[in-house]
Amino acid sequence: MSNLLKKPAVRWGALVVLVALAVVLPLMLPEVANDTIARICVFAVAVLGLNVVMGYGGQVSLGQIFFLGLGSYVTAYGATNDWNIVLTFLAALVLPAIAGLVIALAAARLGGLAIAMVTIALPIVGLPLARRLDHWTGGSQGLSSRFSDAPEWTGLYHDQWQLYIVLVIAVVTFVLVRNFVRGKFGRALAIVKENEAVASSMGISPYWYKVLSFTIASMVGGISGFMYMSVVQYTSPETLAFHHSITLLAAMVVGGSATLAGSVIGGVYFVFVPVLTNAINPNLTAMLQGAILLLVLFLLPGGLASLPRRIAGLRRSSGSRPGAPPREEAATRAVQKAASKQPTRKADQ
Amino acid sequence: MGTFIQLLIDGLSTGSIYAALALAIVLVHQATGMVNFAQGAMAVLSGYIAYSLLGVGLPLIGAIIGAVVISFFVGALIERLLIRRFERGDEHTAVVVTIGLLTLITGICAWFWSYNNQLFPSLFPNQTIPVFGASVSLRSLGTIIVILVIMGLLQLLFVGTKLGLALRAVSINQQSAAFAGMPVGRLLMVGWGLASALGAVAGVLVAPQLTLTPGMMDTALVYALAAVILGGLSSPIGVVAAAGIIGVLENLAAVYVPFIGHDLKVAVPFLLIFVVLILRPQGLFGRKAVVRV
Repeated sequence: MSNLLKKPAVRWGALVVLVALAVVLPLMLPEVANDTIARICVFAVAVLGLNVVMGYGGQVSLGQIFFLGLGSYVTAYGATNDWNIVLTFLAALVLPAIAGLVIALAAARLGGLAIAMVTIALPIVGLPLARRLDHWTGGSQGLSSRFSDAPEWTGLYHDQWQLYIVLVIAVVTFVLVRNFVRGKFGRALAIVKENEAVASSMGISPYWYKVLSFTIASMVGGISGFMYMSVVQYTSPETLAFHHSITLLAAMVVGGSATLAGSVIGGVYFVFVPVLTNAINPNLTAMLQGAILLLVLFLLPGGLASLPRRIAGLRRSSGSRPGAPPREEAATRAVQKAASKQPTRKADQ
Repeated sequence: MGTFIQLLIDGLSTGSIYAALALAIVLVHQATGMVNFAQGAMAVLSGYIAYSLLGVGLPLIGAIIGAVVISFFVGALIERLLIRRFERGDEHTAVVVTIGLLTLITGICAWFWSYNNQLFPSLFPNQTIPVFGASVSLRSLGTIIVILVIMGLLQLLFVGTKLGLALRAVSINQQSAAFAGMPVGRLLMVGWGLASALGAVAGVLVAPQLTLTPGMMDTALVYALAAVILGGLSSPIGVVAAAGIIGVLENLAAVYVPFIGHDLKVAVPFLLIFVVLILRPQGLFGRKAVVRV
């Protein structure tokens, strides 16, 4: 199976099938399904952004929802003031990136967990801030805009058109982030995550890479905000509530950190699990979600995305085939080895 | 002038709540090297425990003491059953674990006691006394005094007793402490238990003012974390001072800076953090961490 997937012809074939599905399915599915898939795309991108800073960068961020909210507000503001749609998209991407840059510039100065401790404040400060700046945000009422309604000439329903929009944005974002984390930047980031002292000895500044990864995460968050506005067509201070931020983080961990597939699973988690737990008992929602998060951390630290590899590993260790470890694993192991050769010790006490 | 003194005392009172929570976080960090984002939620749980003990018919002071004692054991159990497994691992995974714990405990509170606000009586009468022409509330004064006394007791524990010495030894170097024959595991449980008990005090002191809800301490946690950043994770005194400064500044800003007002005062500590992190990244009182490679 895994050998089959490695053949280029099979890969291209699968890609063609996927693209065909993405084009045809929105036309055939009922409205509810289209809407659900579109929401999954929105939050998959939000989780992807979180993955850049947390999964790949190893810095816990509790503020990702803030950038989604900021992106959605910028989009809503642009749309209600009749900005060009491309300009609106760019603003929804650049403004959160700038906000993220400024925050990271300060937060990354303190090593360790400072980013987590500062970003937890973002949703908690952001909510009253969004209420206060009612000139731009519409206060508690929020903003709604219907810029993503299907144009006449397409002959499409609104939900179909919206799904096409978010699918295209999501795919492009995923491809770009994939190239980004697999390239030079990603390798450097992996070393920063593994061992900052080793990174700086190799001429890689942990500070700047943390700032950069946080900025990119914020930008991707802003993109997801634009997508959110395209699908939901309404945003309010409630969008960036604290518990959404925690659910987003749980979605990333449950999906699988530092994997693209994990981000998609995270999107599915974010959309479905609160609905499911609410259906069981609304008073149990938070408890069940906390329990799920802790269970995953206990049993499957790599998240659901690591499940196939985990099963394969179990099968291999039971003695059927002593295959060589996959290349990626070998690479991380090499990095770990390099790191463990130089034991670090904190001497600040 | 009267308003100013009133704001100052009220600020110090909320600041002392943040200080208790922040100290609990520092205590856990000293013992196990992790930042416990669930500290606030644990304090809320303690508040609810006190509430239930009241419901059973205990007098207020008895309910509070009972809640503090139960919280000690709850904290110790959490360390043993959940945290122990992640202590030696990556510190970022540990943070995610405490966030899972935060969600779980908030959920447990919501399950047992619902999301509705529950009234909790105060230890101190709702009266004011005149001080330098300002009318200062007894609640604020009482809160400050209780927290100060507890900090004094903690200081005595850490400096004056064998248990405190052992706790300090474990926080400095676990391995050497284990070689010296100390029961490191049990001491870590005590560390978490003490932090939890300290949080319980903060919880029952703030509950009359905010009324009990599962998310009661979310904002307080943010303030406490801000105090921890400003004071430096390695400096208990710095953290307490920072918490006091934050409490006073946010209260003054809420009244004297029209744009900030009462709803945006939570932004004040973070503006402060930005300034401090740019100028003094190790925190106001912290020492620079040196990593030997």
